[in-house]
Amino acid sequence: MSTAAVQAVTSRSETRRSRTWVLPLVVLALLGALWAYVGSLRLDSIETRSLASDVVLTALWEHVQLVVASTLLTIAIGVPLGVLLTRPGISRAGVVVLAAANASQAVPSIGVLVILAMVFGVGFWMAVVALVLYALLPVLRNTMVGIRQVDPALIDAGRGMGMSPREVLLTIELPLAVPVMLAGIRVALILNVGVATLAAFTNAGGLGSIISSGISLDRTPVLVVGSALTMALALTVDWLAGLAERALRPRGI
Amino acid sequence: MSDRPTPNSDAMIFLDQVSKRYPGQETAAVSELSMEIKQGEFVVLVGPSGCGKTTTLRMINRLIEPTHGRIFIDGKDVTHADVDDLRRGIGYVIQQIGLLPHLTIADNIALVPRMLGVKKSERRRRAQELLEMVGLDPALYADRYPRQLSGGQQQRVGVARALAADPPVMLMDEPFGAVDPIAREKLQMEFVRLQERIRKTIVMVTHDIDEALRLGDRIAIFGPGSRLAQFDTPLEILSNPADDFVRDFVGSGAPVRRLSLLKVSDVIAATPSDLPSGANAIAVDAGESVHRALELVLGSRAEGIEVSVPGDGSRYLDLQTLLTAAAQPAKVLS
Repeated sequence: MSTAAVQAVTSRSETRRSRTWVLPLVVLALLGALWAYVGSLRLDSIETRSLASDVVLTALWEHVQLVVASTLLTIAIGVPLGVLLTRPGISRAGVVVLAAANASQAVPSIGVLVILAMVFGVGFWMAVVALVLYALLPVLRNTMVGIRQVDPALIDAGRGMGMSPREVLLTIELPLAVPVMLAGIRVALILNVGVATLAAFTNAGGLGSIISSGISLDRTPVLVVGSALTMALALTVDWLAGLAERALRPRGI
Repeated sequence: MSDRPTPNSDAMIFLDQVSKRYPGQETAAVSELSMEIKQGEFVVLVGPSGCGKTTTLRMINRLIEPTHGRIFIDGKDVTHADVDDLRRGIGYVIQQIGLLPHLTIADNIALVPRMLGVKKSERRRRAQELLEMVGLDPALYADRYPRQLSGGQQQRVGVARALAADPPVMLMDEPFGAVDPIAREKLQMEFVRLQERIRKTIVMVTHDIDEALRLGDRIAIFGPGSRLAQFDTPLEILSNPADDFVRDFVGSGAPVRRLSLLKVSDVIAATPSDLPSGANAIAVDAGESVHRALELVLGSRAEGIEVSVPGDGSRYLDLQTLLTAAAQPAKVLS
């Protein structure tokens, strides 16, 4: 029996490993096609200026900064809040907070951005705040779900052997919630890559500025480059998050 | 305060008028229960569901806080002691086993020692020692994860984990309930042998009266309304049930079941006789159960058993005498 179980474990991690290399290949193919497409065009002066490598790289870097800052902030808020809301005594507040998080995600992101811009002004950090509001739900919800789905018998066993509530949280609940929490963080990351394109409307830069100048200048190649780079970034981030998920998932589960 | 009872010196667990009442419920889950469990004793709490046996067990390590009454462990009143300290000194085994799936077998066993600040190398050594004690090869199992083990193997690890800090008391909540029937009986017998070696004070909950009779030194039968109907040895419960509830709960066949609890040495005193010449007798150890003796007699088609009594030659009992003696509880119990 145990040999079969060991085999099942190995074969499962093998399939995961083989899938690991598909995504980067897709990204490379996408970038290659983009390169070929742009190279085949005769660019006019506006397009040349909009697609100058320093312009594109700056936009990409701004985009990455937006995504990283907002995701880190989302985790810093969502995970402790999620843990707090699963503690006995205040779990009723969880319903309210989840409803609020649900609502903030149901609101179209462009609306959130614009309202925040009207209230707090424009710029990088305002965009980060909007992204955090938008991406909080998956992190918060998955933290709560991840902790709640831990088998109560394990917690009983832990309490019964003399673990304090804090030790139960650190030794049992959080490690076992990690896979579900990581899935939520991954969703938040991907969401942030997409929503961050809207930050261009509030003067926070990013790949969205390439897209919007492509639209406003009526230059399809510029639009295509902005969109394709966003897609490539989203896929790359997803791939990296998948690697992190595999590395951080506790062994044995 | 001074007129309240205190535990005897040989009592390991002492419950003094312990009650548990949940808010909003008419009847108490456990009401005014007093119980004394001696050091090294294996006590089984048994009864129909809802009788308060599990509540009683969980009040001993205060996973359920009693509403009234006092709890003593090893002579100390622990009713208001620090719960985490209290529980680290009490082994706890549950039906669901509850091994942490993300920790290796060795790390699972070492959980309590780790909390107590035992050094890593020492914990490892202790885990290996305990794995061997519960019949699992440390070289093979120490670094595996729980889901790579069968249910029976996992519960062995569960027992090892409860023993890790060498607690004087073990609480077991239907420990063999989730194990398949064949593995269960084997596990029970191994556990009895283990207990003979380690002599812990064990309180175990089960709903299976046969398991209770097989394992317990004493059995506490809980009746409806969380009443302690009888608290006595298996032999006494089978021979002299306290009331109709106990009689019904034990079920049919009490006289036959008694046979496996009676020892041959219990019955030879009743009817000494010498081996008649030409009698076809089979040698039986005085420590064997009467059940086993009968099995041997019937299996070998002998007419009786020959028991050697140390320093007193050997005694002969024919089949009829053996049965008559076994059917008379009074003689045995006097």
